[in-house]
Amino acid sequence: MSNNSNKLMSSLGTGLGRKVLVFLLMFLLVAPMADASGHGDEEEGFDVKEIIFEHLGDGYGWEVPFAHVYRIPLPVIVRAEDGKWFCFSSGDLTEVVVTRDDATGKESKHLVPVVKTITRDGKDYRFVIAHVSSHKDKLVEIFEPTADQQKEISEALAADKENGEHPVVDGYVFVNGKYYREYRPFDISITKNVAALFIVVILVTAMVMSLVSYYRRRGLRAPRKGMGFFEMLVGFIYYDTIKATLGPATKRFAPYLLTAFFFILVMNLVGLIVIFPGGANLTGNIAVTLVLALCTFIITNVTGTKHYWKEIFWPDVPLFLKFPLPIMQVIEIFGIFTKPAALCVRLFANMMGGHIIVITLTLLIFIFAAFGAAVTGTATVVSVLFSIFMLLLDVLVSFIQAYVFTLLSAIFISMSQLHEEEHHAKEDKGNPELEAKDQEAIAEDKQRLENVAAEVDIK
Amino acid sequence: MELFTPDFGLVFWMFIAFIVLFFVLAKWGWPVIIKMMDQRAGTIDQGVEDARKAKEQLDNARAEAQKYVKEAQARQAEMLREAAKMKSDIIEEARAEAKKAAQKEMDAARQAIDQARKEAELQFRSEVGRFSVDIAEKMVRAQLSNDKAQTELVNKLLDEIEKN
Repeated sequence: MSNNSNKLMSSLGTGLGRKVLVFLLMFLLVAPMADASGHGDEEEGFDVKEIIFEHLGDGYGWEVPFAHVYRIPLPVIVRAEDGKWFCFSSGDLTEVVVTRDDATGKESKHLVPVVKTITRDGKDYRFVIAHVSSHKDKLVEIFEPTADQQKEISEALAADKENGEHPVVDGYVFVNGKYYREYRPFDISITKNVAALFIVVILVTAMVMSLVSYYRRRGLRAPRKGMGFFEMLVGFIYYDTIKATLGPATKRFAPYLLTAFFFILVMNLVGLIVIFPGGANLTGNIAVTLVLALCTFIITNVTGTKHYWKEIFWPDVPLFLKFPLPIMQVIEIFGIFTKPAALCVRLFANMMGGHIIVITLTLLIFIFAAFGAAVTGTATVVSVLFSIFMLLLDVLVSFIQAYVFTLLSAIFISMSQLHEEEHHAKEDKGNPELEAKDQEAIAEDKQRLENVAAEVDIK
Repeated sequence: MELFTPDFGLVFWMFIAFIVLFFVLAKWGWPVIIKMMDQRAGTIDQGVEDARKAKEQLDNARAEAQKYVKEAQARQAEMLREAAKMKSDIIEEARAEAKKAAQKEMDAARQAIDQARKEAELQFRSEVGRFSVDIAEKMVRAQLSNDKAQTELVNKLLDEIEKN
C-alpha cells in the first residue's frame, strides 16, 4: 500500500502536464487499493502526524524512488563529544529488517536504526539516530550511563508513568531496550535537505550559465523556448521589480535579489517533485528561510545610509513621540528585526502549509480505507483531484512566494538606501511646485508599500 | 516543534551554498545577462529609430520624385502649348503673307486691266473720231454740193459761235 501511495504521489508530482494520464491511473488505482483495504494493514495503523512530519522533515538518507524503506546513503559529518571529527555513510545507521507475518505469509520491510560503532585510538565512538529521545530523528552519540546517571533515569521513569513503557527522559536516549546518555554532536552532515540544496545550487548555476553561454554563442539573438522563458523571468524580476523599486541603487543589489529569487523559485519547485531529485521540503524548512532572511537583514543594515539610521533614531514625528520617552525609536528598532522575521516566516509557512495540505489530502485515501471499497474509491478520486489542484496551486504559490520575498527584500533595501524623497522634501520647502512633486512621490511610495502589504496579507 | 527550530547543520550548509551561488552568479552570471538584455533592448530601440528614419527618408524621396514628375509634366504642358501657339502663328503669318501676295497680284492685274482698258478706250476714241470725221466729211461733201445749203450752214455755224 505504501508502494501504491508512492506511485500515486509520484504521478501527481511528475504528471502535472499530463492530467489525462493521471485520471486514467487514478481509476486503475482505485480497484487494487479498495482491495488492499480489505486485507488491512490497519492493525498496524499509521500515525498521520508521523507520516506528515517525516515528509516535511530532514533525514540522513534520501528515499529511493518507489522503495519506501530503502535510502540513498549520504555522508554524515559530526564532531564527537571529545572534539574528534567523524565522517561515515548514513547507510551504516539504518538497516532494513524483513519480518514475516506467519498468519498471512506476507513479508513486510521496516527500516530500523542501528548503532554505528567506530573505534579510533583504542576508543569506541557510538552513534545512533535517536528515536525515543528529545533529539528525535537526529544523530546522537551514546555513552553507557554511570551509576549516578542510572539512578537519575530510574527516578525519571518512576515519576513519569503516563507516557508508556519507555518515555522520553531528558538527556538520555532509549536504544535497543536500554537507556544511554546521549550527546547531540556538532552535526554538519550532508542530509537530504543539504544534498537537495546542492542540487538546487547546481540547477540554478546551470540555468544561468546556459543562458550566459547562449549569449556567448549567439550574441544578441533572443533565446527561444525554455531559455527564453528564463530570460523573461530575469527581465521581469530585474526591470519590473528590482529596478522599479531600487532605482539608481539597482546595479549594486540586483545580483543578490536575482540570486535569491531564482534560488527560492527552484527550491520551491524542486520541493514539489515527489521523488528523488526533488522531494526535499527546502523552503518549508525554517533554517533555509532563516538564512535567506538573515542575508536581507545584513544587507539592509550594513548598507543602510545615514538617512536610514536617522529615520530610526530621530524620525520625523512630533517631539513628544521620541523624547523624553523613545517610543518611536523602540518601534523602529523593533521593526528592523520584524521585517526580516516576517520574510522568513512567510516563506516557510506558505511552503510548509502547501506541503502539509497535499500530503494530508493523499493520506485521506488511507484514512478512508477503513470504511470499505466504495468509500475508498470515492475518497481516492476526490483526494487525487484535490491533490492535483493543490499541487497546481503550489506551483503558483512557488512563483508568488519567490516573487514576494524578492519584492519585499528589494523594498526593505530601498528603504535603507534612499529616503531621497523625504530628504528632498525638506530641501524643496518653500518651492510649492517641487514640494508638491515630492509629496506625490512619497504618497506613491507609501501606496505601493501598502499595496504590497495588502497583497501579502491576502496570501 | 522540531519544524520550528532551525537545524544548525542545514543553516551552515545553506549559508555556504547561498554565498557560493551568489558569488558565482554575481561574477559570471547576472552581469553578463543584464548587459546583454540591456544591449539587446538598446539595439532594438536603435533599430526602431533607424526604421522610422529610413521610412521618413523614403517618404521624402517619394515626395521629391513626385515633385519632379509634376514639374516635368508642367514643363511638358507648357512646351506643348508653346508649340501649338507657334504653329498657329506660323499658319497665320503664312496666310497673311499669301493674302498680301495675292492682293499684290490682283492689284497688278487690275492695273494691267485698267491700262489695257484705257489704251483700248483711247484707241477706240481715236477710231471713233476718225470714223466720225470720215462720216462727217462724206456728209458735208454730199450736202455742200449746192450754194444754198452752203450759205445755210455758214449761218448756222455763225449762230452757234454767237451763242458761245
